[in-house]
Amino acid sequence: MKITYILFLLPLLLNSCIEIIDDLSIHNDGSGTFKYSINLSSSKLKVNSILSLDSLNGKKVPDLAEIESKLLEFKSLLLEEPGIEMVKTELNKSDFILKISIEFNSISQLQSGIKNVIAQLNKEKDHKLIEENWISWDGKTLVREIPSAITSRLKSFDYSEIELLKSGTYTSITRFDKPILKTSNSNCKLNPSRTASMLQVNAFDLKVNNSLIENAITLTP
Amino acid sequence: MFGQKSELMVPQEAVTVFSINNLDLLKKIGVDKLISYDFMNEIHQELFDGSTDNKSLKDAGIDFDQRLNIFYGKTQNMEVSGFTFGITDQSALFAVFDDFDPLPSEIKGVNAYGSFFNNLVIKNNNGLLIRVEPVESYVISITDSVWFSRGNLSPYYQGFEFDESLNEEELLTQDVSFELLEKNYNELRDSIQYVLQQEYLSKVFHGLFEEGKSLYSNSAVFQELLLHPVAGVFYMDNERNFDRAKNLWYLKSVLPSLYLDIQELYQGNIITGDLVLGTQSIDFKITAAYSEPLGSIYLEMNNAKFDKRVAKYIKSDQSAFFTYTINLEQAYNKAYDIILPLLEKEKNIDLSLNVLSLKLANAFINKDAVFDAYKGCMFGTFNGIRKVKTRKIEFFYNEDTFEYGERETDAEEDMPIFTLGFTTGRPDVPELVLEHLSTITSNFEKKPNYWVYHKAIFDSAPLYILNTNGLFILTNDEDLAKNHPDGYGKAGLSKKTLKTIKNAGSMSGFANLKSVANQFPMEFLLPEQVPLMESLRGKSGTMTLSSGKTTLRNTEISLSYGFETLEDSGNHLLDMLNTLYLLTK
Repeated sequence: MKITYILFLLPLLLNSCIEIIDDLSIHNDGSGTFKYSINLSSSKLKVNSILSLDSLNGKKVPDLAEIESKLLEFKSLLLEEPGIEMVKTELNKSDFILKISIEFNSISQLQSGIKNVIAQLNKEKDHKLIEENWISWDGKTLVREIPSAITSRLKSFDYSEIELLKSGTYTSITRFDKPILKTSNSNCKLNPSRTASMLQVNAFDLKVNNSLIENAITLTP
Repeated sequence: MFGQKSELMVPQEAVTVFSINNLDLLKKIGVDKLISYDFMNEIHQELFDGSTDNKSLKDAGIDFDQRLNIFYGKTQNMEVSGFTFGITDQSALFAVFDDFDPLPSEIKGVNAYGSFFNNLVIKNNNGLLIRVEPVESYVISITDSVWFSRGNLSPYYQGFEFDESLNEEELLTQDVSFELLEKNYNELRDSIQYVLQQEYLSKVFHGLFEEGKSLYSNSAVFQELLLHPVAGVFYMDNERNFDRAKNLWYLKSVLPSLYLDIQELYQGNIITGDLVLGTQSIDFKITAAYSEPLGSIYLEMNNAKFDKRVAKYIKSDQSAFFTYTINLEQAYNKAYDIILPLLEKEKNIDLSLNVLSLKLANAFINKDAVFDAYKGCMFGTFNGIRKVKTRKIEFFYNEDTFEYGERETDAEEDMPIFTLGFTTGRPDVPELVLEHLSTITSNFEKKPNYWVYHKAIFDSAPLYILNTNGLFILTNDEDLAKNHPDGYGKAGLSKKTLKTIKNAGSMSGFANLKSVANQFPMEFLLPEQVPLMESLRGKSGTMTLSSGKTTLRNTEISLSYGFETLEDSGNHLLDMLNTLYLLTK
C-alpha cells in the first residue's frame, strides 16, 4: 500500500464527500509549519463499507490498523529528514479525520523531506510525485501547484462520479509574518490584515481545471 | 455417433450445461455481442482481433438446426468449460475464429485446432470449443512440493527488496551468476500447469472420442431433458458438486463411512430446467431432484403456510422483495430422525460426544418455545437508495484570521434501504433481549412503536427494530419505523400478489431489474457476486421467483423474466442465460 495514497490519493479515490485543508505558515526566516487535514466524516457510511471489504476494484483495502501503522512509519521517516523539526499525526477513527502537522526549517527541506519519504515508502516509485516540484519560495514569492499525479487521477473519474466530486472541497491557506502584496489567482481571498490567503475549490472544478489552486503569492518588500 | 447432434460432444466432466434449442432467435445476434457474455469467457480473446466485427452468428458458419450447448464442470483437480455447436460452413467459421491453428490428431475423423488458451475439435460437422485448466491450488501444491524438494528458499523471500538496493552492474553480475538452466518458481509453476493441462485435455478427449463417453451417454436425465420442446434447457449435477466440495475432504479422509452415508443422501441431486419463451417473458421452470431421505426433510420443511401479516410490510411498488416460508420444527424433527442415526453409526469419540450433546439438547430444550420464537415465515425487501441522517464533523473558518475549528452537524448519506423480518409467536423473547441490551448501552432506545439502535450500521446510521403484530422486523427505513409501524395498509401488496405468494410454496420473490441492478451499491456485495450484478446493469424488466410443489423426489421452482419488447427476445434469452450461468458457476 502506498503512503501517497493515504495522504493524497486515497481520499480522492474514495470519490466521497471530502474536505481537505492544507494550511502553510511561513515565517520571515523561511521556517514554518505545514498542516494537512483530510475530513471524510460526511462519508462515514461509505468509508466504513469500503473498509469492511478485503479488496475494491482489484486493490487491497487496508484496515485502520494498517493505515495507522503506515502513518507512524511516515512520521518516523520524516523526522529523520534534514530540516524537519517536528511531526504530529492524528487519526480520528470514528469520524475519519486525518491530521498531519510538520514543522520545518525551510520550504525546500519540507518538499524534499516529503519526497524522500514517499520514495522510501512507495516501492512502485511514483516518479511524477517525486520528480515534480509542488512549491517554491524565494523569500518574496511563494508558488504553489498541484502535483500532476493527482490531477491525472482526478481526470480519470467518469461522469457517474461527478456528483460525488461536486460535493468535495479543497482549501488551501497560506500565512505569512508580512502582509501580502499580490496573488496570481483571482479566486484567492485575503484576510483583513493581508497576512493570510485562502483559496477554496471543489473537487469537480479541480477535475475540469487543474490550475485552480495554482497560486503565486508575493509579499510586500 | 456424432451424426447430427452437437450435444453428444459435451464431455462427461461437465456438471452444468445450458442447451439452447431455438437457435433461430440467435441468428441476428452479433458474434461480438454473443462472446461478450460471461458464459463465452473462453473466446473473449477473439473480441480483440477484429475478426468478429459486424459478423452475425449466421456469418460464422454455425448450424442453426442444431443446439448450442454451453457447459462448465469442475473436479478436484481441473476445470472444463466451453460449448458445442453444429457447423454448416467450416471456412466461414475459421474466418471469424481465426486464431486457431491445426494440431496433430491421432483420433480418426477428428480434426483438432489450438489457440493460445482454447482447443477446437471438429468431428462430422460438430464443433467442440473447450478450455481445460488445472485447478490453481493443485498446481501450486505440486509446484511447492517440487520447489522445496530441490532445497530452494521460499519464493517470497526478501530478495526483491535486496535487488532494489543494487545498481545495474551489480544486478547484471548477479543474473550472470545464476544457474540459467534452473527454472525459477514461476517458470516451474507454468511448466507444471502446462503438463497438467495437456494431461487433462488428453484425458477428456480420450473419454469423449475413444471411449465414446459423454455427459449424454452417461446421464439418462440429460438425455430426457434434451427431448423437451422448449427454447433451451438447463442441467446441473449437484451430486457431483457435493462430491468436489473442498470442505468435505476432512469428512472423506477421517470419517469415510459417514461421508459415504451423506453422499448417499445427495444421490440423484440433479437440477434441471426448461427455458420457455413467452410473448413478453422467458420462463425458467426448474426441477430440483433429490434422494427420498432428503426429500422427506424438504417435504416437512415446505409443509407451511404463508403468514399474510407479512404482506402489510411489503409495498406494492417495492423494488425487490422475497418471502420464505418453512416449517422449521417439522424439518428439524425429520432431520433429527434421518441424520442422527447416520452420525450414531460412527465409532469416533469426538463425534459420539457431539451426538450425545445433540440428544441431551433435544431432550431438555423446550423446542416448542424455540420454534415459536421463529415461526418460519421470513421476508426481505430492498427499497432503493435513500438519504439517511448521520452526523459529520465540519470545519468552520474565522474570516479575519482564516483559523479554523471543528463542529458536529447533521449530514445525509446515500444508503440502500433494506427490511428483514420474520413471524414470531413469542414477541416477549426478542423484547427481553432488547430490554437487556438497552441496559448495557444507551445506543438502544425504546420509542412508543419501535426500538432504535443508534449508529448500528457502520457506526453511523440507525437501525430500527419493530416487534409488533406477531412480526419481528429489522430495518434501516426510518419511514417504515416512524410512519408505518402497523404496515403500509392499502399501499401494501395487492390481494392478487398475495394470492400468488400463497400459492407459490416456500419461496417467492420479485425484482425490478432497472431499479435493483442500477441502484444496488457494489460495496455491499461479495467479490463473487459482483459479476452477476454487473451483468444485470442497464437491463430492464422484472424477475419473479416462486417455488411450486414439493414431493419426496423433487421440488419445482419457477423463475420468470418479463420484458417489454419482443423484438429483442434473443438478447433477453441470452441475458437470462448469462444470469443463470453466473448464479450456478
